[in-house]
Amino acid sequence: MDHKIYILIVEDELEVMDALVKDLENFEAFFPVETANDTREAQEVIDYIIDHGHRIGLILCDHVLPGKNGVDLLIDLQSNEDTIKSKKVLVTGQAGHEDTILAINKANLDHYISKPWTEEGLQEVVRNQLTDYVIENEKNLLSYMQILDAEKLSEAMRTKKMTDH
Amino acid sequence: MKTFSKDHVSILIGVIGFIIPFFLSIPGLSEAGHVALSVFIIAAIFWMFEPVPIYATSIMVILLQVFFLSKQGVLFPEVTAEYTPNGYTDFIGTLANPIIILFLGGFVLADAAVKYDLDKNLTRILLKPFGSKPKFIILGLMVVTGLLSAFMSNTATTAMMMTVILPIIAKTEVSDPLRIGLALSIPFAANIGGIATPIGTPPNAVVIGALSNQGIDIAFTEWMVLAGPLVIIVLFVTWLVLLWMFKPETDSIPLDLKGTFQKNSSAILVYLVFGATVILWVTESLHGIGSSIIALIPVTVLALTGILDKDGIRQLPWEVLWLVAGGISLGISMEGTGLAEWIITNIEWSIFSPVFMIIIFSLVAIVMSNFLSHTVSATLLIPLAVSLATSGVAGEGFSLVLISLVIGVSASLAMMLPISTPPNAIAISTGTLKTKHMTRAGLVIGLFGLIMVTLYALFYWPLILN
Repeated sequence: MDHKIYILIVEDELEVMDALVKDLENFEAFFPVETANDTREAQEVIDYIIDHGHRIGLILCDHVLPGKNGVDLLIDLQSNEDTIKSKKVLVTGQAGHEDTILAINKANLDHYISKPWTEEGLQEVVRNQLTDYVIENEKNLLSYMQILDAEKLSEAMRTKKMTDH
Repeated sequence: MKTFSKDHVSILIGVIGFIIPFFLSIPGLSEAGHVALSVFIIAAIFWMFEPVPIYATSIMVILLQVFFLSKQGVLFPEVTAEYTPNGYTDFIGTLANPIIILFLGGFVLADAAVKYDLDKNLTRILLKPFGSKPKFIILGLMVVTGLLSAFMSNTATTAMMMTVILPIIAKTEVSDPLRIGLALSIPFAANIGGIATPIGTPPNAVVIGALSNQGIDIAFTEWMVLAGPLVIIVLFVTWLVLLWMFKPETDSIPLDLKGTFQKNSSAILVYLVFGATVILWVTESLHGIGSSIIALIPVTVLALTGILDKDGIRQLPWEVLWLVAGGISLGISMEGTGLAEWIITNIEWSIFSPVFMIIIFSLVAIVMSNFLSHTVSATLLIPLAVSLATSGVAGEGFSLVLISLVIGVSASLAMMLPISTPPNAIAISTGTLKTKHMTRAGLVIGLFGLIMVTLYALFYWPLILN
């Protein structure tokens, strides 16, 4: 594989960030995890990853952040060609009604995780989102069978006209 | 600092290999034979080391032949005593070879079946009689996989069956060898099932295409009669081998497949077309209409009814057709220029018995196919076998059809490594088993297959062919 698919976590509270990173340890070998403390840093990390020919598969984003908020970041990313396909998940306890609606309508939000989360719940969301991402964007699905939803990947391969050679 | 990659080196060696014969004068090989040797070398190196996709190499082969070996090419505009150049249409015409059209029909049918979930629903129905005991479930899975892969691509069949077995594997204890047995049963059955019909897998097409160039047409039914019994016995023994190597511990498997047949008019039309085409294919010996001609029926009906739409046509696996066509095309020149004959006359064949030659060709095909694409292996070996038979150097009793079958069937019996076949790659990717499991089981099946191919070639196939 010449490009890597990254998971990006945007969260300003250190403890929460640590907990998220720890819960996603299983995925690290296949999907490197990058972190950012605010939206400006997040944008820098994204630019760096994209410039190096890699991709953002999934963004887990807190809403209340110093500076621009999480929903605004997701909306920006939705209008950017390099990140429009990335799966976007809000991880928050404080996004109000309005902001959530905005995220769904304008950022095409893929999932909403409310704090506190459970480890299994979070991993399931990440697994599902990344499975959808690779099915939609990757040619070779075999490399993800072990870590993601193998049944769903097989089903995708069935319909993708795979042939013998 | 970027150094030469492995691919660059392969390309360089291929190109040098292509150039060398132009500066040599090999005794006993015609001038055109030298050129064919050039094409053969670059194709073989590109196919083996894959610096470019294998279908791209096949496309290049056709161009090189048109350019250098056809009557319209730059080197051989006139007929000489040594070489009667083919018109360029012979080379590009391989793309419309009857076997290619047959495959096209198969692709379109399989595609429609997947689109309307016919494959899944058939699996659900066919698996029911096998109950819930692990050993019978595995047998059922293998029978269904084999049956479907005889008409669909082995790879697509494997992907579909994975959606059936993954939930079972997930519910099985991690320590239970049943998991490994299950994960191996599907790709193995798919590889073996592909042998059963001409459209089962591309190596079969290479064999049939090469034979048709020699004026020998193998009917769909004839192929099934030749290959079917072998498939059944190898499939059965594979089942026993897997049960013996990976003895299930649990005594019942929860198999709960949900789904219903789609009942809209398009789906029903697909069922009818699928059923009718398969019936017409397997009854070719009764009505005598060639399978390639019948293959046009599903293509036409599904196109007229819009089930095969523009996107569907674009998404057909055209690269497989190019791959096979390139192989058939290369065979034309290897035989026409005397290259294949020159290669084989370097070996004193008459000292070998026919049994020995069958074993050698089968063994070489199995070994090659474990590492290379099955189609490529068959493509490289078939011209040699054809020349052995047609030149008469192998002596009496060396049948062209027989040895071609040996090669075609043996190519599909290679399943020791994840890279041997795409179905194997899928099984390994699940992480349920290790390569060593696949290698051990694949080795036993390869050896058993070798013995069976030899026995069939000695005793059964001659009965049918004569």
